[in-house]
Amino acid sequence: MTNTWYLYLFFAAALVFAGLLGLLGKRNLIKLFIAIEVIGKGISLLLLSTGFAKASILTAQALVITYIVIEVSLVATALALIINIYRQTKSLDIRDLAKLKG
Amino acid sequence: MVLQTALLIGLVIFSVLAILLKDLLKSAISLAAASLLLGIIFFRMNAPYAGVFEISVVAGLITVLFILTIALTGAGHDVRESKIVNWVFPLVFVAFIVIDALVMKSLLGKVPALPSGTEAGAFGDVLWKGRTLDLVGQIAIILAGVFAGLALFRKRDKHD
Amino acid sequence: MIILFVVLPLIVAGLLPLVGKVSRRVLPDLLANATLLFLLVYAAVAGRALIAGGPVLQQAAWLGEAVNLRLALDGFSLLMLVAVSLVGLAASLFSIDYMEHYGAKANYYALYLVMVAGMNGLVLATDLFSVYVFLEVAAVASYALVAYGLGSDELEAAFKYLMLSVVASAFLLAAIAVVFGMTGSLEFAAVAAALKELNAGAVIGIASACFLLGFGLKAALVPFHAWLPDAHPSAPAPISAVLSGLLIKVSGVYAMTRIFLNVFGLTPALSTVLMVLGAVSMVVAAFLALGQKDMKRMLAYSSISQVGLVVLGIGIGTPLGIAGGLFHLFNHALAKGLLFLTSGSVQQATGTRDLDAMGGLAKRMPVTAATSLIGSLSIAGVPPLNGFWSKLIIIVALVQAGHPVFAVVAVLASVLTLWYYLLIQRKAFFGKLDEKWAAVKEAPFWMTVATVLLALLCVGIGILFASTVTTWIQPAADVLADGVHAVTGSWGF
Repeated sequence: MTNTWYLYLFFAAALVFAGLLGLLGKRNLIKLFIAIEVIGKGISLLLLSTGFAKASILTAQALVITYIVIEVSLVATALALIINIYRQTKSLDIRDLAKLKG
Repeated sequence: MVLQTALLIGLVIFSVLAILLKDLLKSAISLAAASLLLGIIFFRMNAPYAGVFEISVVAGLITVLFILTIALTGAGHDVRESKIVNWVFPLVFVAFIVIDALVMKSLLGKVPALPSGTEAGAFGDVLWKGRTLDLVGQIAIILAGVFAGLALFRKRDKHD
Repeated sequence: MIILFVVLPLIVAGLLPLVGKVSRRVLPDLLANATLLFLLVYAAVAGRALIAGGPVLQQAAWLGEAVNLRLALDGFSLLMLVAVSLVGLAASLFSIDYMEHYGAKANYYALYLVMVAGMNGLVLATDLFSVYVFLEVAAVASYALVAYGLGSDELEAAFKYLMLSVVASAFLLAAIAVVFGMTGSLEFAAVAAALKELNAGAVIGIASACFLLGFGLKAALVPFHAWLPDAHPSAPAPISAVLSGLLIKVSGVYAMTRIFLNVFGLTPALSTVLMVLGAVSMVVAAFLALGQKDMKRMLAYSSISQVGLVVLGIGIGTPLGIAGGLFHLFNHALAKGLLFLTSGSVQQATGTRDLDAMGGLAKRMPVTAATSLIGSLSIAGVPPLNGFWSKLIIIVALVQAGHPVFAVVAVLASVLTLWYYLLIQRKAFFGKLDEKWAAVKEAPFWMTVATVLLALLCVGIGILFASTVTTWIQPAADVLADGVHAVTGSWGF
């Protein structure tokens, strides 16, 4: 793999890690979802830079575009859930969602 | 290359800001800025289609969805984030960056890869003819999202 | 025309909201169930003939030009298709009565069919990224379906399920990106061939770990199981049945098995990891199930435990072990689907899932009690039901492959399983009929039909296990036992 791939991998890993940290530490539901979006950015960067390094930029673009479409659906569903949760419990705090214990 | 690296650093900074900022609206805008930078990074990697999608869909549509949600949920003012996290996050993150850089340096050239072939065709062909099943998947996921929205926002006539 | 498995449910799903405006109940019920019945018949009847001569590869042509709509149907995919169609149809029939009071049935069926289309697409895909795409299709549909009742429990469970699933997806894509980087391709055949050339042990190890994280979470293996005991009980009963009976197996076990056995090749290290994960899940979840008061929660932990057993069986890597694992996967899909459906019947009749509050329901709901008993005994592994044979095969395979300790653990876990299932049966159905349930009635027609159908299958497969194994399980096991050759040899398009 070319050296530039490692550069992009470095940043992609940083993004994913930042998102994971956010998921662990934050309490606001919307913030949690923003953390997930950051993870998504890391992953699309990883996908595209892999294609770039392999001279398959066209295939990589097709992958990233499909991934973005999937993300939109995911965001729409998740935000619909969040809005409903807010209407029911009047709270956006993850600690208030502690009825179920896992 | 230098510009690309600067853009990448900006991307990470805006993303981290999006997670750490207290005000949700500023968070959403920071996320949009990060998406914008990512789109430009994509452009500079000779990936204009991905760049356009990233900017118009992620920086555009998803940000709008976020702002809508923020508006509909009272902007989450009453959720008090943990103060400790605001200190721990940057420290752990910086530590990770250091480890990340060291790992990447040591990995240089270690990941074996087959030599890459040339890519034939235009983007349209690659997407429509090369990854057609993914297009079916895209239609399916859009249907899933639409029906999910319809289901989760439906009017309830009776109570469960 | 195996593309129908994906496209037909999608088309019907697209039409359903329009149909729903015209007719609120009858037409959506009819359309959805007819679609699933058609797919079941197609898979069961035509499927075997199709794969008799080797895997069926379909490369579709769109308006005269060849497009890369590549689907492959081999023994393993066919087994999953039949399982999806069977349990999918049963849960759908059940929904005819059960989902009445949830409202917007057309919308429900639309989501349901999209989920089925996603699962079918995953099973037929020949490309790593397509597997991911259809995995997400089924997942997004399932988030909405878990939250369908819009109660705060359901919303909370759906949200947590979503959060964890997205993390899993991120790891899956990371692994896919690394494999893409190494081999320059995403097709199973090309990747398998390239990996053999490359000899990239350490990096494949990392990619495998990421795949394990992602698929392990989808399959709810311990320690990635935390979302399941909340999500499955909160969902409406037919959805719980599909989630526990199908989704965790299709997006978790199938995808993982296909990639690890047919694309990467099962190394001894990977085999050990799978077996250990499977055994740990099996035991830990069985213990956790014992302490549950909520009927569906106990069933949810049981799912984690049984999937652990499936992964243990497949992880052995020997043809017998794989066959046992696959047979148990199939049996569990039927039996767990059945049990969640009967729990739905009980919940609808009594309004509760609390085992301590129930009692003696067998007197008022004899059919439900009987089918529930069959399901319980099947999973617990009591002869002559289907579950007994699959468990036996796995245990024998463990002994044969030189893992006596695992075999003993499996037997002990089975004993635990039997214990808590008898607990459910005793607390809910047998014993003295509590006063408040005196007016309870048997479940409505379609709900009973669905449970009876699955129960008959459990019994039938138990009695006819030999022919079931040879006609359905063996072809699937052969494909997996072939390892990488199954894909590089005959899947080259």
